[in-house]
Amino acid sequence: MRRATIPALVVVAGLLLLVDYLVVNASLGELAGIVVDAAILVSAGAALAAVAALAVRRAGDLWRRRGDPVGAVLVLAGMAAVLLAGLRPGASGASDPAVLWILNALLVPLGASLFGLLFVSTLLAFQRSISARSREAIVMALAAVAILVLLLPVGGTAGGWLDGAAAWALAVPIGGVFRGLLLGIAILGAVVAARTMLGIGAGDE
Amino acid sequence: MSDRLLAIRLAPLLLLLLLAVAWLAPSVGWLRLASSNTTEADRMTQALDALPPRSTVVVGFDPDLGTYAEIRPTVRALLADLLYRQASLAIVSVTPEGRALALAELDRLQRGTVNARRILDLGFVPGAEAALVRLTRAGLPIEADGALAGVLATDGLAGAQAIVVVGGNDLGPRAWVEQVLPRVPGLPLLAVAPTILLPELRPYLATGQVDALLGTPRDGAAYRATLDVERLDRFLEPREPSRTGVAVGLVVAIGVLLAALVRRGGRSDAARTPPGPRTEAA
Repeated sequence: MRRATIPALVVVAGLLLLVDYLVVNASLGELAGIVVDAAILVSAGAALAAVAALAVRRAGDLWRRRGDPVGAVLVLAGMAAVLLAGLRPGASGASDPAVLWILNALLVPLGASLFGLLFVSTLLAFQRSISARSREAIVMALAAVAILVLLLPVGGTAGGWLDGAAAWALAVPIGGVFRGLLLGIAILGAVVAARTMLGIGAGDE
Repeated sequence: MSDRLLAIRLAPLLLLLLLAVAWLAPSVGWLRLASSNTTEADRMTQALDALPPRSTVVVGFDPDLGTYAEIRPTVRALLADLLYRQASLAIVSVTPEGRALALAELDRLQRGTVNARRILDLGFVPGAEAALVRLTRAGLPIEADGALAGVLATDGLAGAQAIVVVGGNDLGPRAWVEQVLPRVPGLPLLAVAPTILLPELRPYLATGQVDALLGTPRDGAAYRATLDVERLDRFLEPREPSRTGVAVGLVVAIGVLLAALVRRGGRSDAARTPPGPRTEAA
């Protein structure tokens, strides 16, 4: 039953949106609008459910004294702080000054710092991979060195040459490989979609 | 603890100190962040010049925390440029991270005493691509009052004169090209995106579906170098990224990688060296 319902939903919703895209018809547009609104509601519901699941999981970790208690306390305290700031009586929701302070003074700088640390951790990871004699790591490191040299912020003639070479590297080898991957993913997506629409599963092969 | 282990443990701290010193040091004259090829920056300026006066611009604001630092100075410059050109901005996000960063930028604009009638916060619409499709339909549920809100509430995105997309890893200009442009044809789409998105965006730029794109720090710096927003410079990044800091960071990264490769090469040679007479004697 489950196997028949999900492909049927996918086929009906997909075809409806496709026909609405191709045919100008007010009733069809309304119907497609309902499907889009439903997708938005499902997406919002899924996001809320994910947040609730995270809170329950972390609270469970604390209750059963498993995992990382400090991390669990921080996650729950962070959630509580944002909810309290945005939902307390008299607050103006997401644009409340207290919420904005949490965003501007805590979330954005902390997030940026964590991603900034990727600089150090990526270099350390490369060092370990190279020490482990991984051929892939060596190729990646050589490519990274080449690109980093091209990105050096040098002016003058040398800078112009590096700039041109960096643009070529982005447009031709990197762009080609990246687009090849995207094309492969798109073809795979189309095959999976066609199999879903035709009801072909792993057991049919 | 051995000296080598101590050095390894202290290395990240020393690196941060070195970067901090480089960031604060005055820039050296021969270092330059802006691209010598100003094609993309000129293209952005031309696209902005082509907008009608006092145009309504929908800003799809969906950067992510990981790459926002790369594009932030350019995003702030573009917003200031649009305001300088008397455009009205309707800012919408369809990803949670984008919404958080949009709120931070809106707060910054308000602290800079932006004309409130020219900024409309359309908020967060969940659903990513589905949300983009929803935005293209007439009758947007906008709670705010005012002429700007009225136009978009009635006509949806068709009421705007241009779209500016601030992209990130989760959702970028590609989704806007695929979901919005076919449903609202004729709207120019300008974009600022991190370099990681460049390979997938270049074809759209070549076909003209994206009218202008600032997709690398160098193109962004070239655009900022030509900018003059007079009194609205309070909306710009207070300070340009330090060229010395960027250069030192890159040189350290290159040095660390090369040192690791050389060490690895040295060990391989040692492993391949046949045992000498002393070893045989032993």
